[in-house]
Amino acid sequence: MLDALKDVVRKSSIHVCLINTGGCNGCDIEVVALLSPRYDLEQYGIYVHNNPREADVLLITGAVCEQWKENLQRIYSKAPEPKVVVAIGNCPLTGDVFNQEGSSVYAPVSDFIPVDAEIPGCPPRPAEILAAILAVGPDAIAAKGRQKP
Amino acid sequence: MPMSSVIWYLYEFARKSWAESFAIAKTNPEIVETPERFRDFPQVFPEYCIACGACTAACPAPNAIKLIRSEDNAEEEGQTYPVINNRGCIRCGFCAEVCPTDPKTITCGENHLIREDFTILPTERMFVIDDYLCIRCKKCLKACQVEGAITEEDNKIIIDQSKCIACGNCLDSCPVKGAIKGIYIAHVQEQKDIIKIIVNSLEESIEDKREDISHLSDDEVYKFDLNIDVMVDRARSILSDDDIILDIFQKVTDRLKLRIVTWDDEKCNRCQLCVNECPSGAITYNKEEDVVERDTEKCLRCSICYQTCPFGVAGYYIARFLLDPPSLDDGVIHITVKASQLPIGAD
Repeated sequence: MLDALKDVVRKSSIHVCLINTGGCNGCDIEVVALLSPRYDLEQYGIYVHNNPREADVLLITGAVCEQWKENLQRIYSKAPEPKVVVAIGNCPLTGDVFNQEGSSVYAPVSDFIPVDAEIPGCPPRPAEILAAILAVGPDAIAAKGRQKP
Repeated sequence: MPMSSVIWYLYEFARKSWAESFAIAKTNPEIVETPERFRDFPQVFPEYCIACGACTAACPAPNAIKLIRSEDNAEEEGQTYPVINNRGCIRCGFCAEVCPTDPKTITCGENHLIREDFTILPTERMFVIDDYLCIRCKKCLKACQVEGAITEEDNKIIIDQSKCIACGNCLDSCPVKGAIKGIYIAHVQEQKDIIKIIVNSLEESIEDKREDISHLSDDEVYKFDLNIDVMVDRARSILSDDDIILDIFQKVTDRLKLRIVTWDDEKCNRCQLCVNECPSGAITYNKEEDVVERDTEKCLRCSICYQTCPFGVAGYYIARFLLDPPSLDDGVIHITVKASQLPIGAD
């Protein structure tokens, strides 16, 4: 009964935590643009809390630098189940321009935590980010919630 | 004053339009849709690719472009073409801008459609300043009729090709030979053919004098003159423009440094040391007739046989040229041949 109620609530509201693991900040700015009245993320029931303990969706940007290798896994473990990880931009996917020979970049992010959705682009358009969160968020969370014992 | 602002602010909420937009808040679809001129991921048209690799060299992201080649089959060789990895591509469009094929193998956005400015006058010559020889006297600046065609930038004199009308005034005013170069950009293939005629006949004329040259000592210089009538006649049959022909003659004689290899079979002891040393395979050993043969067509004039041979079979000479007076009618090419100063390996 409680689980069913949780599913319903989570389907219509998503808490998001944004994590920059060492990128150029371009993708973060696109996410900020999403929060602005122009795109108005909150009308879809998505709230950026930046607190992993409350997050349903972790948005990962950046190419995972040395200091983030362990911290990323710590943040991931702090987010409550069910959780969805969305990789924004090319950095978490391939390391992008930072992944030069001899660089201290440990992309892709999927080497450290499981990734549910990928949004390629450098940076992706805010509309693309929004579409990805909406496509993967509610259903995945609801499905994962039901799988839990 | 603050009070009235607050009233205006509260009045906003009382308006009907506000209540309507509050009740049915929606993102404007125009904002969500991709704009028409948005530079999206590159599109690849594999059939136009010439496998030059310019796109991979221009790409700033290490994982974005790979050149791949499809498998060969019985009829034809595999096609080489670029593949874009969307997970690495930053949509900068550099690959499309540098792609030299027409139509483009890669298209991305609209920047690659921009063409560089060029003069629409049908000119035959292009004028370029050689910065190394230029003495910055600025006589060309004064002689130039077009505003802004010749400019000074960072203490360099530059000709703007998009404004130049190719009148040639700058070349006439320049006091330094070669500082301004008037390059004929028309009839390129014909120009190449004439250069070949000149170089080949110069080489033949020197090789005809083989007997005299091979007796040259180290500090002697062998001089002789060559009449250019035959060469001019052959050049005129290719190209009717005497100005271009004279220009080619002058440039060739000014710049050319011919390396001459002579071959004296009588001295040869069939040791075949040179056969394996030759980088182009021009020297071969003929078993049936027991001779070492040199193919002049394949020879690179690199001097390795000269430096290898312990018996002095190969001779190596340097020739230089001067056209004087510089005219096609009574011009004569003065040729000087000198023994090379290269060390010989056997010593």
